[in-house]
Amino acid sequence: MSDVVIEVGDRPVREVHQDIQEAAKAGSSIVVTDTRSRHNLGVGLPKGCKVRFEGSVGYYCGGLNNGAIIEIENNAGWGCGEAMADGHITVNGYAGMSVGAAMLGGTIHVTGDSGPRAGVAMKGGNIVVEGKIGYQSGFMAHGGKIIALGGAGSSCADALWEGEVWVTGDIEDLGVDAVVTEPTAEQVAEVDAILAPLGLKDTSRDWRRIVAGQRLWYFESRDAKAWLMI
Amino acid sequence: MCGIAGRILNAPGKIGRDLVELMDAQEHRGADSTGFAIYGIPRDSGFIVRAMGFNREMLSKDLEDFTSVLKEHGSDLVEDPTWDDSSDRHYSVRLVIKDPADIARWSHDADQICKRLEIQSVGRSLEIIKDTGGAYVVADKHGVRDMVGTHGLGHARLATESDVRPNASHPFWARPFPDVAIVHNGQITDYYTWRNRLEHKGYRFMTYNDSELIAVWVSDRMKEGLSMEEALTRSIEEIDGVFTFMIGQPDKIGWAKDRFAMKPLVVVDENGEIAAATEEQSVRRVCEGEGISIINYDGPGLHGIWGVGNRRAAA
Repeated sequence: MSDVVIEVGDRPVREVHQDIQEAAKAGSSIVVTDTRSRHNLGVGLPKGCKVRFEGSVGYYCGGLNNGAIIEIENNAGWGCGEAMADGHITVNGYAGMSVGAAMLGGTIHVTGDSGPRAGVAMKGGNIVVEGKIGYQSGFMAHGGKIIALGGAGSSCADALWEGEVWVTGDIEDLGVDAVVTEPTAEQVAEVDAILAPLGLKDTSRDWRRIVAGQRLWYFESRDAKAWLMI
Repeated sequence: MCGIAGRILNAPGKIGRDLVELMDAQEHRGADSTGFAIYGIPRDSGFIVRAMGFNREMLSKDLEDFTSVLKEHGSDLVEDPTWDDSSDRHYSVRLVIKDPADIARWSHDADQICKRLEIQSVGRSLEIIKDTGGAYVVADKHGVRDMVGTHGLGHARLATESDVRPNASHPFWARPFPDVAIVHNGQITDYYTWRNRLEHKGYRFMTYNDSELIAVWVSDRMKEGLSMEEALTRSIEEIDGVFTFMIGQPDKIGWAKDRFAMKPLVVVDENGEIAAATEEQSVRRVCEGEGISIINYDGPGLHGIWGVGNRRAAA
């Protein structure tokens, strides 16, 4: 079956969205063109839906994803895949600030770098960034994994709760209460299993697995300085 | 949440038209008010004054009093003033004046009638136009699209810290420094502390908008001898809050971002022609083609300065 082509241009995003939802219901594979970095494209898409956005998209692309397979040709703006529950998003470029914010499940794969606070408050799922993750990535993540193959910006994994941040390459500096651990073979195998379907598995990597030091889980007066970190 | 924009052309051109498009694309970030700071072709002498009066019925009396203060400072109007012909109670007037003996002293005295007629900008080339409403509304009312110049700033305001009034919108003039304007996206948390210190140094603020502070703050540091680069770096260290701001001067636009990397800045640099905005979809209004190279200044504590190349060549 040939792809359904949906043009964005300067049309109201609500209209574009209705077109995408209808095509998804009909089970078509969808190509969205002339995206012009506009916001809220492909939000709340259902399982079974397959969409490719040509060009760059604006804020919240693929947000609330419920199982769709979404591909973005170039860059994505703020909050790509925010609060997604399931599915797969590929960003073939730079993912802006807060990619995968508060996501619950599924995988976001960024081929370039990502901006500040990737995976902020994420609850589950995986964010794989082939380049470098930006400032304060993993900030207050509750669960899930952020996997960076090209290093991390400053304040990495700041105030992490229960998520994990995996980094190969340089880490500019660690955030408050972020602790680097040596991963076990089983843990590395788990990460490799996430990377393998993306064609990114490489057993020679020198991983650093960053988890919460758990000092911020309960307030103790000796930690007041860490709470007032700035 | 506000939207800001900056634009630099390689030669004088329709800077107003570009800024209107940059701001229309970001109107959803703040439709309370929109404003523009436009750097036209600079005058060799004399200043362009943009001012806002708050009661149209008082217009002649306001201008008469304004002119009489000018004369006390060895200046005078050198062109007939022009103003918008809307039916709004407030009015915006453009005046061209002879150089006063001392700009700071004159503007201090001119501000004696600021409750009636408030100066919005003074410059050899700077003109600040701002009003309530979206980009096209303000552009239509004040003829912004036809304004020619080399560079400028734009702002769409979502008021969070102070009230919505035509004069409380951005850009802000760095009173009393000629040709300095600012646009800001964010909130300054230690605003009152800094404002208080600057007021003790003799500066006067016309609104309770925290952004008005930054323009004066940076200018004051530069007056004390810092370069713009140094002043921008210091602002990141010393001003508390979240911000991305751009500051315009006759030969450059500088910008700085807070330590927490809260507010985005998207830039396209095409051989020195700059389009900068809060959102990528905005710069795409003036730089066409999916293939344009987009720079995301998303990181913490960043700053930069873009020079303005040719200020006088024909468009």
